[in-house]
Amino acid sequence: MTEIRSQDLGERIRENQQEKFSDSLKPATRNPQPATSLKTDQMFVNLGPQHPSTHGVLRLALTLDGEVIIRAEPDVGYLHRGTEKLSEVRGYHHCVVMTDRWDYVSAMPNNLVFCLASEKLLNLQVPERAEYLRVIMCELNRLASHLLFFGTYGIDIGAFTPFLHAFREREMVLDLFEMVCGARMTFNYIRIGGVAQDLPQSWIEKCKEFLGYFKFRLKEYDDLLSFNPIFMDRTKNVGLITPRQAVDWGLSGPNIRGSGVPYDVRKTDPYSVYGKLDFEVCVGESGSCWDRYYVRMREMAQSVRLVEHCLNALPSGDIVAKGVAKMPKPMPGEAYAHVEGSRGDLGIYLVSDGSFSPYRMHVRAPSYINLAILQEALVGLKVSDMIAVLGSIDIVLGEVDR
Amino acid sequence: MPEAAFLEQVTQRLKEACPEVSVAEPSPIKGVVNFKVTRADTWALVFKTLKEELGFEFLDFLTAVDWKGPVGAQGFIQDPNPNPFLPEGATPSVTPEPPTPGFPYREKIELVAAVSNWNKWTRVVVRLELPREAAKAPTLINLWKTADWQEREAYDLLGVVFEGHPNLKKILTPDFIAGHPLRKDYVHVKDQYD
Repeated sequence: MTEIRSQDLGERIRENQQEKFSDSLKPATRNPQPATSLKTDQMFVNLGPQHPSTHGVLRLALTLDGEVIIRAEPDVGYLHRGTEKLSEVRGYHHCVVMTDRWDYVSAMPNNLVFCLASEKLLNLQVPERAEYLRVIMCELNRLASHLLFFGTYGIDIGAFTPFLHAFREREMVLDLFEMVCGARMTFNYIRIGGVAQDLPQSWIEKCKEFLGYFKFRLKEYDDLLSFNPIFMDRTKNVGLITPRQAVDWGLSGPNIRGSGVPYDVRKTDPYSVYGKLDFEVCVGESGSCWDRYYVRMREMAQSVRLVEHCLNALPSGDIVAKGVAKMPKPMPGEAYAHVEGSRGDLGIYLVSDGSFSPYRMHVRAPSYINLAILQEALVGLKVSDMIAVLGSIDIVLGEVDR
Repeated sequence: MPEAAFLEQVTQRLKEACPEVSVAEPSPIKGVVNFKVTRADTWALVFKTLKEELGFEFLDFLTAVDWKGPVGAQGFIQDPNPNPFLPEGATPSVTPEPPTPGFPYREKIELVAAVSNWNKWTRVVVRLELPREAAKAPTLINLWKTADWQEREAYDLLGVVFEGHPNLKKILTPDFIAGHPLRKDYVHVKDQYD
């Protein structure tokens, strides 16, 4: 008796479950529609936060009408670590360590901008050799960052091979960094008043060797990806951003230059020794994904030129300013410094109340501000173009969320 | 110097448009002209004049500063002694800085925004002090779309309400965080991750 009863019960539960399961698979029964009509509802799609082509923890909430995006809302903050708040209980030297963690793909400009702002507060004069070393490192880091973009953008569009080429060269740049400061990504190399260490033996030769090798790779990249007809079909005339839109949304870096606006902090507000160096500001024409991509490719050639120039002009002398305190204590005041990071106009607004730690630090993060334009740029595009646009904006989520 | 002449012109035009705008002396940010706005309702008008008549077309940054001054650590602290090299039960190494004597701490939140004119390569900073308890200012989203996220950030982290913003909601901190972390008296409440 008992056996039969339990069997009955089991079957009944199974039936019940099946019913429920099949129910959930049938939205039509809950939302009755004639079998012949097409479903024309708007569809809501969550892209991310674990989607591989969002380059990190970005969630895009998309509303689709068929294939066309009618509303896009980026959802950020998954990587928010509150570095601005953390800086309020740490000394100035300790804050440099945190700056590495914003844009971890190009950490040298992050180090630099915080040091520039602190030096303004502390009235420090940086020795010339240190200034040249800073420029060399920032430009090499721009190479590493744009190479990462080149590789991953190829993958986004569907070309896997460029990634392998890009990472082969990026590895060489990271090796150069490792020789200088022991780290490959989070350097903490540029310090308040100068840099951490002088160049090791034979570094300059190795760097020149790399630059000589790298110059010819740029042509290879163009053959491989830039002028590939499939790649051009996917990116030319896609995701157009007009100059007016670019200024309105506060874009900076290669994104605004891709739209034809020659805004480059290195030229317009020269810091460090950029005023003495000779380079071109690369601008695109139409503001399409391909223009933004190609601006970065041409910038790499300019970075090579800048590093070569700096290596040849590198003066001898001190690498740290005299009289940098172990715990700096600036006078009350405020400072704003900004640099052309790999992703755009990276700024620091620093307030001191005369204590050992910053009273308030605000980061003008270029990735964060560039990302907001997706709300407008994605509307009206097809879903398949969305990844091309997102990739071409080139964000790093560590910097978006800080 | 043409820049000085241009800045003179900017100051004059701004004072014509809104008489209570003044130049902060001495300038809080060295090398940049700082304009002080005293009434919240003219905040947007100042920027409209700057953008449409004086050619300041690029909004560099928009943020806020809480001038309350350092407040002792409050709320839930997971590890009061995070330094592993100190013996157990030692005084915590992360202590807030004592307030600097003589510094003008006040119960205010100050909005700070910088705009650039690319034809003259000039940047000016505009500031507006608001009471901490009712920090409200008009939005700049009608002038610059980039104000959208920058204002949302200032709202999320400092609790400044931008009136007229169409989508003013949290952006960086998770939904369960109550309060505005960059305010000096922010109290962390124990949550599911502590």
